[in-house]
Amino acid sequence: MAGDHVVIIGNGPAANEAAMTLRERAPEFRVTIVGREHVRQYKPHLLPALVAGKITEEDLFVRSIAFYQHAGIKLRLGQEVVDVDFDTRRIILAHKEVLRFDGLIIATGGKPRIPEPLLVFQDVMMTLKTLTDARSWIDKLARVDCVLIVGGDLTSVAFAKTLVSLGKTVKFMVDEHGFWPLHLGDETRQEVARRLASGGMELVPCRKLRGLARLSADEIRVETDCGRYTVGAVGAFFGLVPDVRFLVRSGLYIEKGVIVDENLMTRYDGVYAAGDCAQVYHPTLRDYWVSIGYRNAENLGRIAALNLIGGKVRAETAPESIFHVDGVDIPTSWWAEI
Amino acid sequence: MGRVDVTMEVCGMAGDGTIAAGGLLNEAMSAGGFSVLGFDSYPAEIRGFGRCVTRSRVGTERILALVDKTNVLISLDDVQSHSRVPYLAWDAAVFFDSNPPVYVEEEMSLAARVEPGATLFAFPMADLAAAAAGTMRGRNLTALGGFAAAFSVPRDLFIEVIAKKFKAKGSRVLDANIKSFDAGYAYGLEHFSDRLRDTLKPPPGIKTGPEKVMLSGNLAIGRGALDAGLKLYFGYPITPATPIMEYLAARLPEKGGRVVQMEDEISSVGAVLGGFYAGARSMTATSGPGFALMTELITHGVMAEIPAVILNAQRGGPSTGLPTKTEQSDLHAAVFGGPGDSPRIVIAPTDVEECYRHTVMSFQLAEKYQTPVIVLTDFYLDNRVENLPMPQATESEIADANEYPDESVRGAYKRYLMTDSGISPRSIPGTEGFTFSATGLEHVEKGTPNYTEDNHMSMTEKRHRKIAGALEDLPAPVEYSRGGPLDVGVIGWGSTFGAILEAVNIANERGLNVGALKITSIFPFHGGVIRAFMNRCSEVLIPELNYEGQLANLIDHLHHKDVVRLSRATGVPISPSLILKEIETLALAGA
Amino acid sequence: MRETSTYLYQNMNNEREAIRDVVYSTDPADFSYMAVNVPCQAACPAWTNVPAYIRCLYESRFDRSYEINRIVNVLPGVLGRICSRPCEDKCRHGERELGQPVNICHIKRAASDFKERGHVYLEQLFAPLGKSVCVVGAGPAGLAAAHDLAVVGFEVELIEALDTPGGMLSSGIPEFRLPRDVLKAEIDGILRLGVTLRTGVSVGTDVSVDELLTSHKAVLLAAGCYTARQLEVPGEDLPGVLSGLRFVMDVNSGRAPMLGKRVLVLGAGFTAFDCARLALRLGADDVAICIRGTEEDLRVTQDEIHEAKREGVHIRALMVSTRIVGQNRVEGIEFLRTRLEGTRSDGRRKAVPVEGSDFCVPTDTVIVAVGQGPEPIPAPGEKDRRNVLKGDPVTFRTSAPNLYVAGDFMTGPTTVIESIASGRRAAERIAEDLTGRKFREWAVRVQDTSVTDREREWDFIPRHEMPTVLPAIERFQPPQPEVEGGYTPEMAHEEAKRCYLCYLHYEIDIEACIYCRYCIDVAPRDCIKLVKEVVLDESGGVKRLVETTAWEEVNAVVIDNERCIRCGACLRVCPVDCISVSKMELVQRTLEAGRD
Repeated sequence: MAGDHVVIIGNGPAANEAAMTLRERAPEFRVTIVGREHVRQYKPHLLPALVAGKITEEDLFVRSIAFYQHAGIKLRLGQEVVDVDFDTRRIILAHKEVLRFDGLIIATGGKPRIPEPLLVFQDVMMTLKTLTDARSWIDKLARVDCVLIVGGDLTSVAFAKTLVSLGKTVKFMVDEHGFWPLHLGDETRQEVARRLASGGMELVPCRKLRGLARLSADEIRVETDCGRYTVGAVGAFFGLVPDVRFLVRSGLYIEKGVIVDENLMTRYDGVYAAGDCAQVYHPTLRDYWVSIGYRNAENLGRIAALNLIGGKVRAETAPESIFHVDGVDIPTSWWAEI
Repeated sequence: MGRVDVTMEVCGMAGDGTIAAGGLLNEAMSAGGFSVLGFDSYPAEIRGFGRCVTRSRVGTERILALVDKTNVLISLDDVQSHSRVPYLAWDAAVFFDSNPPVYVEEEMSLAARVEPGATLFAFPMADLAAAAAGTMRGRNLTALGGFAAAFSVPRDLFIEVIAKKFKAKGSRVLDANIKSFDAGYAYGLEHFSDRLRDTLKPPPGIKTGPEKVMLSGNLAIGRGALDAGLKLYFGYPITPATPIMEYLAARLPEKGGRVVQMEDEISSVGAVLGGFYAGARSMTATSGPGFALMTELITHGVMAEIPAVILNAQRGGPSTGLPTKTEQSDLHAAVFGGPGDSPRIVIAPTDVEECYRHTVMSFQLAEKYQTPVIVLTDFYLDNRVENLPMPQATESEIADANEYPDESVRGAYKRYLMTDSGISPRSIPGTEGFTFSATGLEHVEKGTPNYTEDNHMSMTEKRHRKIAGALEDLPAPVEYSRGGPLDVGVIGWGSTFGAILEAVNIANERGLNVGALKITSIFPFHGGVIRAFMNRCSEVLIPELNYEGQLANLIDHLHHKDVVRLSRATGVPISPSLILKEIETLALAGA
Repeated sequence: MRETSTYLYQNMNNEREAIRDVVYSTDPADFSYMAVNVPCQAACPAWTNVPAYIRCLYESRFDRSYEINRIVNVLPGVLGRICSRPCEDKCRHGERELGQPVNICHIKRAASDFKERGHVYLEQLFAPLGKSVCVVGAGPAGLAAAHDLAVVGFEVELIEALDTPGGMLSSGIPEFRLPRDVLKAEIDGILRLGVTLRTGVSVGTDVSVDELLTSHKAVLLAAGCYTARQLEVPGEDLPGVLSGLRFVMDVNSGRAPMLGKRVLVLGAGFTAFDCARLALRLGADDVAICIRGTEEDLRVTQDEIHEAKREGVHIRALMVSTRIVGQNRVEGIEFLRTRLEGTRSDGRRKAVPVEGSDFCVPTDTVIVAVGQGPEPIPAPGEKDRRNVLKGDPVTFRTSAPNLYVAGDFMTGPTTVIESIASGRRAAERIAEDLTGRKFREWAVRVQDTSVTDREREWDFIPRHEMPTVLPAIERFQPPQPEVEGGYTPEMAHEEAKRCYLCYLHYEIDIEACIYCRYCIDVAPRDCIKLVKEVVLDESGGVKRLVETTAWEEVNAVVIDNERCIRCGACLRVCPVDCISVSKMELVQRTLEAGRD
């Protein structure tokens, strides 16, 4: 209906693609993007390159602010959603503002996962998901030479290569759960290990991290089940979990992410989820699948928008091979680097 | 040293501590070595419902005027701040409370109105204040704390000025205030690190020269009067001159003087004439409507050649007009008001320092030229604050400027002796051997009334000659240019001149050839200097805050072609950008 | 009905304050007020006076704080560790913009930890009645009933089938959650009243209910739920498939079974979690709890989930078991994926299997903890279809005279605090039935409070989390210590400050109010309102305040006690002192002889 307000929570590829699609196909709608970060959309897979000094911050951004103003998309940056009431169709923002919506697309993406047993070390570990994270790394790398990478997700590989190119010593500890939501078999893990070692990194053969203690601003003591040593920084790369904790008591079905049907619709009319934060049942996997990757997210954002305005496009559950790392390239820009 | 130029606003409801916050902000920036110009707007009610906005512009170079766009908005009441959003620069920083008492619908939200280029700093100001000091009363300080952290202002600058301001209220209040500030500051350091600006960290070497203080125009006037040896103040409260009387009421008695509130403006000016007549430096300050009541007695001062210092703090008119808005529309009244051919001295300062200087100067001018001296300021100039070294007056600036009769004429003293200069030495009543009569009737040299044709002609001429002679003691117009021929010459007076000078500077930076002429002596005016300047200009532009172009009316005959008027009767100061636009239009047209 | 007594009050500073009125009210409007305004107490099945015991702890009166708990809950030290904390879910401080709920349970534990060794219980013992009652089952319900019956004057025989008293507390809950010495000390405190405990006696086998009915005036069956529910899938009896209840009981009695390296636990309650965490301590490498729904459907506290995950337990959601497979022992479980679809009639979410979604998860040990039920003890009286005695939820009577039931035995599995509350209420009914008189009654006690020394800053104190053994890996080293370490006195004191003391009631005297609205200006939230009408409910309590923004319509400035966080800002700023503060507590008071 004209004047209907569609709110998109998130400001990544899924969110922006959804907004663009809505703008194109439903000019009578009012469209608002609510993003938690204070900057406009940027390409997270270029963050390692930013840390390496190969590009500047300006190179990261996808489009200008003026674009949104001309397109009539209300862009609200630096604002966070803390709750959604689906009965009254209201969104509550962190600063106690109430946004009423007619349609809603949840595209909050993922946030770095820290396995529970390691949460106690959270303050000592650094992640790389946002621009702020990248700036912290740039600042830290100016002062330290040795970095431990724990986990082994898709970003970690590119990042480790970045560190090596900056002349840093890199220790890499592949955690068996590091590739969630993918499941690595033993052979695959060995393959990954081989490739990493050939890239100039030292592979730490341990499986369990027992302790991390900060000795000083730029020194961390690492204790594993096969030894202890000191490094300058520890990077946690355990993949992403859908960033949907704020929706847990809202009534939506949430497992790890927002559960949606093959049209990306949640249990509520007019409410969709797309991108890294959505889970769709995958009949071949017999599990709830979380799509990963920039292009997948864009695609899902587009589909969610199309369906919100009346379409019935199915989100294609991609062939199985994409989700098992068996020496096969995954169409994401990080992995393709290897 | 990188150039800093930041405009900041604190906006809130009456009772939120907005004005106090703005004041501390100004003081802290000044303590850091920046040049500061601030101007607040607030409702007249004491515990009222109404919006308060403090605006401060801060920079590494001397700030001359306020500009249109705000770079920082600190909101203490989000609904009131809605009106400030259109003035935000595209990349402004907005600080507001992230935990207001009630939920806010989208239409009423401040965050919803702000453009995406702005950076938001939402933090729980009231809660942080309550957590630190047990009450949310200090949340205006918490807001400043968050701002200080975000903009890399050293904490000590604020603590210093907070301590100074609240020292008198006891350690508990001071403590609570510092805690409130620190709560915001600590929060900012922790949470704003992803969007810090280092704009307001004072660059090294910025603090040079003597210690600066924040002064408003009114305070400078009061201070100038005190330093000049004012003995008697007679006045009637009127916005925006009242603070002068309040200031002097507190301090004049310490110096042996007196402040008397009269029943109206007529008696006020009458008493001033009486005071000066009796030999004591006297003064009154008023605004347009009050000044109008004074005109008859002013002309009495002209006719009877009695000194007086009258300050007219102009405001929106006519009549009661716009009491809390600024205007420059009393020039005609000041120069020409009152019956008869009644020339008098009219001067107009352009900034806070000149408010001081002109006030000091006015007493000597009044005494030497035995005439009412009218000092014209305006609401904006009276209430705005600038930081500057505390002005001081030299001995010679405050010395007695009366010309007393020589001993040789004892017993044969003529009060209104015809002289070349037109100045007749005056004796103070009660001086034996030098008695005289003074009158508002036309009179002969001895002072007795006389209405003959020749006498009236020569006395009128004498009075005019006397005033014309003041030109040598009056500050000459000051030119700001590269010299030589100019595409556009901008002439101005009063508080508008700051904006003029800024516009001219920017125009020259952009490659135009423009000059500014500051006129502070409104009457008599230095016609020769002004004409010479005008002759070098292809176009002359005169911006003023009045509809008819009152200064233009006074001097436009000096130019061989029409002057261009930029007349604004808006009640708010003219912005440099407006003047700049006009300059550029004229310069292009001429090219 | 209200009654007033006046007395001299010795306050905290040991000063004698002027004569104060204390009013005890049984007016339904006051009960309705308490239910809304002290939500923690209302949520507690036993109606623990939460603000009072937190305030005592703040004053470092640990003994008194412990006692206040013990009035309604005979096992404060135990509950202070393992309670399911329904109070915390309702705590005002946990409302969205106010922060996190108070750690009420941890404070209770602190009271128990720091009370003096030789502190004095103030039990009000009634004169002996010369009658005896038998309580079957020394679990929380039985213990609570036995205690109350003994206090009221009965001779109590407490019969327990296992070798030690405590029920699930001693045989079900692992020691790393509940150290046995704490439990023993509190059970001793009950037995000391003269309760005769007979352990190792199984009612129904070693002695019949009929026999007990002849030798006692009444018999209360509080035998709990010790029959593990079956999974009812093929393969359930393969070696390597353990019953969860059996598993924890065996471990707790020192007879831990051998486990494989990969363990799957089926179930979503406390027992499942206990099994999973025990499995890790017994050396399993990979332990996962598999549930039908999602984490939101788990029936344990957030702390429990958090600690389990920290120790390395995985939670696998949206799957339902269909078959356990294996040759000679378990080798894996076949599951179907489930999908969430609406809610059931009992309010729980429905998870339905997805057709064609079968998959298999390899494992070498399966622990089944999908629920427990009561054992059908032979007894007179009407039974349900499972052959378990039916009891009336209000009177606790069965259809057989003088035979009562209480606790999980009557209702099916609930929580420990619910069982304790059930046992108490059953004891009260038994006492009334056998003597014809009431011994206690609930009332709302109202008194003026002139001093509220809470500071507004305290509202912003961050919640103190329970110190636990970290990193979690340490917990598995012998001697496998209690995971939670307990607050220090300082931490408990700081956490206690966070309680708003919702039993305080701030009220504006409409006659004296001058409508200056200074109170509204300083209010931290929308708690003081301009009201045109007050709508009452059937009991006479305030149902709703009708606000207005039109000045002419305003009839009163009213403090909305449901929004009020008792910060006192209004009180401090009122220029005419028209705001009064009183303390309203839901208490159970002893009725002396001769009263009805």
